Amino acid sequence: MRVNPYPMPDLLAALNRTRQDTQEALLELSSGRRVNQPSDDPAAAAILVQNHDQTTVTERYLQSLSSIQGQFQTADSALNSVILVIQRALTLGVEGANGTLSDTDRAAVAAELQGIQDQLISLGNTSFQGRALFAGTLTNSPPFVKDNTVASGVRYDGNDAVNAVQIGDGYQIAVNKPGSQLFVAPGHDVFQAMTGLIQAMQSNTGFTAAMTSLRDAFDYTSGQRVFYGNTMNQAQAQSTYLGAAKLQLSQQENTLAAADVAGAASRLVNSDTATNATLAAIGRISQLSLFDFLK
Amino acid sequence: MSGLLGSLSIALSSLIANQQALESSANNVANVNTSGFSRQRPVMIAGDPVVLGRLSFGTGVVMQKLESLRDPILELRLNQESQTQGQLDSTLSALQQIQVTFSGTDSGIGAAISKFFDSVQQLSTDPTSLSLRQGVLTAASNLATSFNTASHNLQTQHSNLDLNVVQTVGEINTLTPQIAALNRQITDFENVHQDASVLIDQRGALIRELSSLVDVSVIQTEHGITLTTSNGTPLVAQERSFQLTTQIAAGGIHKIFAGTVDITGLLPAGKLGGLLDVRDNRIPALQTSLDQLAAGLATALNTAHRSGFDLNGTAGIDLFVPPPAGGVGAAAALSLALTDPVLLAASSDGTPGSNGNLAVISAVHDQAVAAGQKPLDFYSRLVFQVGSDTANAAADLDASQLILRQLEDQRASISGVSLDEEAANIVRYQTAYQAAARVISTVNTLLDTAVNLGT
Repeated sequence: MRVNPYPMPDLLAALNRTRQDTQEALLELSSGRRVNQPSDDPAAAAILVQNHDQTTVTERYLQSLSSIQGQFQTADSALNSVILVIQRALTLGVEGANGTLSDTDRAAVAAELQGIQDQLISLGNTSFQGRALFAGTLTNSPPFVKDNTVASGVRYDGNDAVNAVQIGDGYQIAVNKPGSQLFVAPGHDVFQAMTGLIQAMQSNTGFTAAMTSLRDAFDYTSGQRVFYGNTMNQAQAQSTYLGAAKLQLSQQENTLAAADVAGAASRLVNSDTATNATLAAIGRISQLSLFDFLK
Repeated sequence: MSGLLGSLSIALSSLIANQQALESSANNVANVNTSGFSRQRPVMIAGDPVVLGRLSFGTGVVMQKLESLRDPILELRLNQESQTQGQLDSTLSALQQIQVTFSGTDSGIGAAISKFFDSVQQLSTDPTSLSLRQGVLTAASNLATSFNTASHNLQTQHSNLDLNVVQTVGEINTLTPQIAALNRQITDFENVHQDASVLIDQRGALIRELSSLVDVSVIQTEHGITLTTSNGTPLVAQERSFQLTTQIAAGGIHKIFAGTVDITGLLPAGKLGGLLDVRDNRIPALQTSLDQLAAGLATALNTAHRSGFDLNGTAGIDLFVPPPAGGVGAAAALSLALTDPVLLAASSDGTPGSNGNLAVISAVHDQAVAAGQKPLDFYSRLVFQVGSDTANAAADLDASQLILRQLEDQRASISGVSLDEEAANIVRYQTAYQAAARVISTVNTLLDTAVNLGT
């Protein structure tokens, strides 16, 4: 069998192939990625699109959690103040009710109670980053306004709506409690109770009823505060879970797309060896033919 | 004839034949680097004998012909593989450019979709914030731009391929007349029983070149060669060639005509086949998918957006300019319908602080918007499609190259010039020439002796 007298094209093709292998291994090592374009691994490239999206979503959940946490803390501390202030009003009420105070003293206590009422209105109008926290979704104006035409002397301008923020796939949490539920719930109206106590103080009658409704308002508001505590706990737990999910996603991304450094390095060595061997082979192809030996 | 003069003439025939043989070796050596050249081998036969009485004497040697060594079947296989390679080559290079549009997880349509829904979620924590509202509009605008860019890239590829198709048809049209002209010359040579092997080699090389451009069937007839495409469109019939023409058709692309017949869809192989496949099938399919996704997503987001209320408490309007009916051109045309962040319909009840409608918009992320699939599922399927098409074409091209190399090896082992072999042959011819010369010199001496006998 006659052999191909020109081995060169074959050797050049082989050289081309080994150099291509070298280049691919180098690209993988230098970019740190195994999948640089869809054809490198079509299935992995498709999963990476999803992985990238899930990572974006998970990071957003975490950021949402941290941004609503500030809001929660502000609301919680406002409610804490509300409770302390009502406590003070209760103490004053007990003093007023024991019948030892003069008219002047009672007038002074009534004035202090009025001051407490103003403080409560101000706490009800607490805002976070310009948004009224207890206004339902009418967040751009203070929800509680003094108004002598209503029985309690305070009008609620907010609504009953609740906003929810997504903090997980199919997991939403309510991020506010409307003032209508916290301060002016039917039967537990804080301002009404305060007004009742002030009137009792001024008229020196009806202390028992006024104190009963203020105590009731106190108990009710304390109970409502639990909502913020619970939600913050939920947020904390979800935050831990999302952290783990994010880690898992980044591990998946690594498995799919990150360079197999050891593998790429060994392929680099292999292809380099192959290139050298091919070059040596080309170098050793005899430049001589029979012509050189015929004299 | 016999006697000394007979020997002289025999020696002379040997001188002539070996000189001619030497010439063929010289020609082989000269063409050692000529592509498509088939080495030639001298075929010598013994001269017709003369009979004298009971004896029969040889009359020397005759150079019958110079035989070109080539395997016609191998040439055909080489042509076929060239077609496959030409097709895969043009397909792969087009697909590699296309897949750039779909690579990168931090940019492109996939990332733009993720970022849009991300901005909506971000706004839900502070729905009245104008800067976050602007953020949603910017993300929506980027989403539209990513569709525009992808569609535009495909369109650019499409136009480039179309240009390439026209150029390739031009190349085919310059090759076919050359082949027809060679056919005529070869017939002329063969009619007067002359050796046309050099011309046959040239024609073979041209057919090879033509095969890499378009699918060609070679039909050998008594009067030369006929070349047709696989569907029977003649390109060369013996001494005549037929030009292909291109005409702009609907959609601004060029259709290929043979005479008045549109053969655009009938050219599966060669560079032209690959170009046409990507231009007429693959890119339009991708474009349709992009349009489908853009239209589905825009429509779903518009519906969601209209179900809410903006910061002024007014019912929401369209977020994107509604895609054209049927969706054709939706990706290229996708654009925002509103630029004022106040008009973003985040509220579900008309109050400014409500974020209820943002949940409705976010839900589109998990809605079936195109071909019954969620936006990112649809897009990732598209990425897979493009990636696997490219990877498959690359693998097929590798295999085809290997086959072609092996065929080239085989061809070279039959037709290639070996310098060692030629050197050995030259020694043989030289020795024979020298021996014949020695015979002449001997005959000369003997004749001299015979002539001087009388003196």
